[in-house]
Amino acid sequence: MALAEPLVYAARAATLGGKDLAFLVSQLAGKYQVFGPTRKDGEIALGPVQSLEDLELDYVTTLLPPKKYFYAPFDTIFSFHREGGVIHEENLEERRVLFGLHPCDVNALLLLDRVFTGQYEDDRYKRKRENTLIVGLNCNKPGENCFCSSFGTGPDLRRGYDLLLTNLGDRYLLEAGSGAGEELLHELRLKKAEPQAFLAKENVTRLAKGAIKKKINTDNLPKILNQNFGHGKWAELKEECLACGACTIVCPTCYCFNVFDKLDLTLKHGERQIVWDSCVLLEFGEVAMGGNFRRTRAARIKQRIYHKLSYFETQYGALGCVGCGRCVTACIKKIDPTAIVNAIRGE
Amino acid sequence: MQQSSALKKSPLIPEVATIEKITQETPDVKTFRVVFDDPSVMDGFTYRSGQCAMVSLPGVGEAMISITASPTRKGFLEFSVKKAGMLTGALHEAEEGQKIGVRGPYGNSFPIESMYGKDLVFIGGGIGLAPLRSLINNVLDNRDKFGAVEIIYGARSPQDLVFKEEILENWSKVKGVKVHVTVDKGDDDWKGPVGFVPAFAEQVNPSPAGSIAITCGPPIMIKFVLQTLAKLKFTPEQIITTLEMKMKCGVGKCGRCNIGEKYVCVDGPVFTLAQLGNMPNEF
Repeated sequence: MALAEPLVYAARAATLGGKDLAFLVSQLAGKYQVFGPTRKDGEIALGPVQSLEDLELDYVTTLLPPKKYFYAPFDTIFSFHREGGVIHEENLEERRVLFGLHPCDVNALLLLDRVFTGQYEDDRYKRKRENTLIVGLNCNKPGENCFCSSFGTGPDLRRGYDLLLTNLGDRYLLEAGSGAGEELLHELRLKKAEPQAFLAKENVTRLAKGAIKKKINTDNLPKILNQNFGHGKWAELKEECLACGACTIVCPTCYCFNVFDKLDLTLKHGERQIVWDSCVLLEFGEVAMGGNFRRTRAARIKQRIYHKLSYFETQYGALGCVGCGRCVTACIKKIDPTAIVNAIRGE
Repeated sequence: MQQSSALKKSPLIPEVATIEKITQETPDVKTFRVVFDDPSVMDGFTYRSGQCAMVSLPGVGEAMISITASPTRKGFLEFSVKKAGMLTGALHEAEEGQKIGVRGPYGNSFPIESMYGKDLVFIGGGIGLAPLRSLINNVLDNRDKFGAVEIIYGARSPQDLVFKEEILENWSKVKGVKVHVTVDKGDDDWKGPVGFVPAFAEQVNPSPAGSIAITCGPPIMIKFVLQTLAKLKFTPEQIITTLEMKMKCGVGKCGRCNIGEKYVCVDGPVFTLAQLGNMPNEF
């Protein structure tokens, strides 16, 4: 596809018309395996993308967060032969682009980075992260369950991206956030962004922020939660929560996992797999000899909320929620962290 | 199992080891002496008393087991395993010479340096003596660094006492070491004390002055031993215990052993009672 020759090539930021966006996607798809928001059974899900036509950029939230690209719901650590075989590895070197991720989801990846690349670094996660470019998309259309602005994780993205798109209505602003992003802008010879584009970006960000209805007051939150371990709200939630685990599956920062050995039908070869797990399931608190230290649903939903909004901060220096709202959307009973925190704070 | 060197960095991939010797301790406890197949892995496996390792059988799974060997005795690892679940059940079926997977060591350890010059009181119940045994042998191998040692141990019955020979033939003969053994319920041959560990410990009546108490056993025993120690005027800072939970990764990621801000696998399993007091009341 030939583009009109711009006067100045973009170093840090460019503006894109409709055709330029299609050009960007097709160029990326030529060099990388590209994944982005696509339409799937009436919902939006992250999936493989060849061209702009495959993408659904005007979306609220994808069904599953991007964590599935860094550790899959069933992720093989290694495979084995029971009687002295070879452990071999999957291909972690595939160059990928995650296109059109919303700020909440990019910030969630930054939180997962703290978990998987700190002490006892997970080499598989790290290599997949290193081989994946992030093209963020600022959020213009917050959903009814969104509360990202409470955590500073949206609706606009400030870090964690290689390229960042903002839909300005008649065109897109495309900004580079890394050396790799700058190189791409340079290679694609896109038109340098004019100053008005940044003013327009501020404007759409302000509008988006104003459209976010739900809020969590995060001031001193870990401390306030720790003082309210026995709060009556938890007993109430025991009656609400069905302990289905949907909230943890759709959560972009939930990372707990089980480890299973899966044998094939010969019972000789198998794989050791990581399987997404959930602290709200009864089995999660089981210990040897029939014990279970979180037998009640109240104890388990409490563990989920406390891990996000209290323990994670001590462990990793940030609150463990990005306010994407998926847990509320996925919950049959619409259990809502903002409502829980508001009740506990008495607000 | 063999593995390519490129994969060594992933923390969930075990090293291959061979079971060299199996000792039947009790009807449901066996001790496995294990050596890594790669001598450089064996040499590089440095651990401290109280640490654990992930033991696995391909096709069955993994479980976190405390290392009962003492780091003062090199060239092998030992795990004492009670038959309790899938992996431990399969381990009990294993034979000498069989290959297993081992990765670690994981967790913190008993703060042995802080015990120098102190009198030590070990209180163990059942298989809970396994992690204590590593520290006891470590202490006995560095005997001059520590004061008097009291070992209080009990099990359900005389048949359920682990490390019987070592307790009676080795430990009780070391100078400055007193061994007290009880059983919940005796039999015709049992001539020793009968009674539960917490009450028995109270009778032994160890002095808290200049002492550290280290206790490990079933949760219910620990609960009452802590009461006994409080009665004997041990402070929470003088009491050390270990927590056990199911673990899937051992490296602070899978979430199974998360209590409050702690992951038992990384921040534990060894805690002082003072530290446990700061955790949410979940155990």
